[in-house]
Amino acid sequence: MAQVSTAADMTVAEQRDLATTLGVDTPGDGAITWERLAGQIEARSDSTFASRGDAIRADLARRLDRELLEREREAIADEIGRLPTVRDAGVPDEPHGLYTAVAEPGWRLYDHLLEVGFFESLDENLPRFTAAHVETTARELILADPLSSALDDAGFDESEKTALLVDVTNNDERLARWVPSNQIPAGVEFETDTIPPLHQRAMGGALLWIQGLDRHLWQNEVLLTDEILDAAVRYVKAMLGGLFVSATAACDLAGEERVTDEQLTAAFTAGSAVQIVSQEELLHTVFYITDEMRAPSELR
Amino acid sequence: MALRNDRAVQAAREIELREIEDGYTLVGGPEESVTEQHDTDRIPEVDVDQEMLSGTGEDPESWLMYGGNYEQHRATPADTITPENVSDLELEYEMSVGTGSSMEGTPIVIPGDPPVMYQTNGPNHMKAIDPREGEVLWSYTYAPPIGVELCCDDNNRGAAVLGDKVYMTTLDSGVVALDRYTGEEVWYTQTADHEVGYSATWAPVIHDGTIYTGSAGGEYGVIGFIAALDAESGEIQWRQHTLPEDEWVGESRTHGCGTSWMTPTIDEERGVLHSPVANPGPDFDGTVRPGPNFPTCGTITMNLEDGETEWGFQSSPHDVWDYDAAAPRVLLRDVEVEDGSMDMVVGSDKAGWVYMMDAESGKLHERSEEICQHINMWEMIPHISADERIPFVPGAPGGNDWQPPSYNPATGLVYVIHQNFPQDLYWRYEEYSEGNPYWGGGLDDPATEFPDEWNESITAFAAVDPATGERVWRDWIESEDRFYMWGGSMSTATGLVFNGTQNGNLVAYDGENGERLWEHEFDVPISASPMSWYDPGEEKQYVAVQVGGSGWLRQGTRGDTLAVFSLEA
Repeated sequence: MAQVSTAADMTVAEQRDLATTLGVDTPGDGAITWERLAGQIEARSDSTFASRGDAIRADLARRLDRELLEREREAIADEIGRLPTVRDAGVPDEPHGLYTAVAEPGWRLYDHLLEVGFFESLDENLPRFTAAHVETTARELILADPLSSALDDAGFDESEKTALLVDVTNNDERLARWVPSNQIPAGVEFETDTIPPLHQRAMGGALLWIQGLDRHLWQNEVLLTDEILDAAVRYVKAMLGGLFVSATAACDLAGEERVTDEQLTAAFTAGSAVQIVSQEELLHTVFYITDEMRAPSELR
Repeated sequence: MALRNDRAVQAAREIELREIEDGYTLVGGPEESVTEQHDTDRIPEVDVDQEMLSGTGEDPESWLMYGGNYEQHRATPADTITPENVSDLELEYEMSVGTGSSMEGTPIVIPGDPPVMYQTNGPNHMKAIDPREGEVLWSYTYAPPIGVELCCDDNNRGAAVLGDKVYMTTLDSGVVALDRYTGEEVWYTQTADHEVGYSATWAPVIHDGTIYTGSAGGEYGVIGFIAALDAESGEIQWRQHTLPEDEWVGESRTHGCGTSWMTPTIDEERGVLHSPVANPGPDFDGTVRPGPNFPTCGTITMNLEDGETEWGFQSSPHDVWDYDAAAPRVLLRDVEVEDGSMDMVVGSDKAGWVYMMDAESGKLHERSEEICQHINMWEMIPHISADERIPFVPGAPGGNDWQPPSYNPATGLVYVIHQNFPQDLYWRYEEYSEGNPYWGGGLDDPATEFPDEWNESITAFAAVDPATGERVWRDWIESEDRFYMWGGSMSTATGLVFNGTQNGNLVAYDGENGERLWEHEFDVPISASPMSWYDPGEEKQYVAVQVGGSGWLRQGTRGDTLAVFSLEA
């Protein structure tokens, strides 16, 4: 069975950038891992993070359907676990089905969050992606045991978890392009009222990309290589990982409250960040197929 | 009557195309549409029926629709002009159309004694012409309302005909029907509100009593659609958006664009139309419209009966380079491939390749070898830096912009025009501030620095084998003035391919090998697509082409000429 690792293309330089961002020494021996980072960084008291998480909790806790969230969260984890089988299936044999099924629990979760005003609440209570916000997010995430162990349970090993952190911390400028819809001014070239909230765009976009893989891979079979198919499941796993982080935090919000307010802010920020970065990577490695990337034509 | 006394021509001349911040608008012109009748009695009263439309591709005496036939082959079955005698092709006449504006159209010709040509050009001007003499029989100018917003010139690319009427789209997103014998207006229907940015520039197509027309306005945040109108009454039968609701996040679809701004291709056997689909909106900021933005920058196939989408294919998903698909799709029947034969939809797109898709399912049979160069393509995502610019090819005009390809039944090849010029697209990191524009970037044409790999040819005209995607030959075109090649090609049953260049040359190629067999030089660019017909009364095959610069970037020197060439049988 195929191995699907989100860390497959993570470089040493990226890991060192991560460590530098977090102010952690990077001795020459061994890789930077989530666990290693967790042992070296210290919590910073950030009242802003706490107050944002508190506001989200106050706004949403009673509106969320805990049972539904937990059920779909488990289903998302199951789909993550099923990805090696999906990769083994290769090119979908019809323009919908294989990857559409992978996205389904995510859509059910998304629909519920949409219904209860979750995404509007995040736009209201979370800031834009800035270097400082992203750094604090990573720091809080690393120290959030419930989130770390949830990722373990969902099948992310140490290197893969670290790769998710890299996605968050090393892309602050790129993430800054994604702006909460309530911060886009009137008078721009398009009607800002029709732009969905940032976190809805992150999650909805990720799910559209996953489901769109069926049609894209089926239609473009003559262009595909194993590398392209490998990248497809790799970034699907990363997107689902981000979604799973958000789902885990939402479940906690609806019930257990094992996650602190600071960690809640970090989880929703990081979950969206991973989904954003991964969908852009998927676009580049799977959808934009240049002549250099494509399979040689069998017809000429 | 001289053109200076033609009120319709004068009305068109008085409509001024004025450049504004976001494109163009029209100023002046008549308050009401104007028809000027000259010699209308000369028009034979023979109504055009469905049998004639369905058979026009096989009829050397007619060219009854924009693409030459429903499949948009732009190929004449007339066989008087051959590779052996094309050197004898002579200019029969040049006539001034008198309006001095955009010249991107392809005339249509209805057989008869004499045949009648219906020719259109910007701004919404149509003439009925006796093509033997080059004499105007009537002329008509539509009165566009004040405030029409146009991204890209005041184009009109041609007419459609059925029964006793001739039709053209109007710049305010309408369709107007004229009595083809008198030039008098019969009905007008607006398919969308021009005040929110919709417009129309292409030739409509008619099948089974229904007019099919699309939508433009992809730089103005509209939502694209294709509409079907009753040809007799103008009543809208259906109007279907190109963007499926479940393929877009939330309300991002509302201004998602995906217009369809060239003539649809009709597949009579399957009862569907195939249409290019343009860019998503907003053009350069993909973060507000995540996902593939299906089916923008690609192809859509809709049922003729109700507009239901059958399949779509994207050549540039989630586009932020303005790589909209615009060139008409070419439908090929029974193409011999490895395991039998298949019907194909051929899309030649701004992305710089030609896509051969299964007409039934939309699955890619093969993508061609590159037509233009591909330098730094699809890079600069994510958008990260104000200072970082990478010149890239193809630029925003492609690849293949709207220029229609042709298919030559004698060679079995498809002929395409791809631009090949570096541009810079830069993304600004913008702090949002109230009242300031947020486009997330801009386009520099030309690029501030040319990449070393660029071959300095601004256009490629190429032949592609649809069965394999092999680029059989390619003619690189240079332009001292750096004009783009802005018109499409035409094929003949004898294996010739005609194409007009931005340097003002109408060229007849040997379709097999790309050898230039004949040329005629004009003093301004050709931005239109030639057509041809055989006139048994004169025993001549004619070739007609409009001459004059047009386009949305460096459009080239304006011209005002309809040129007609002929060769005796």
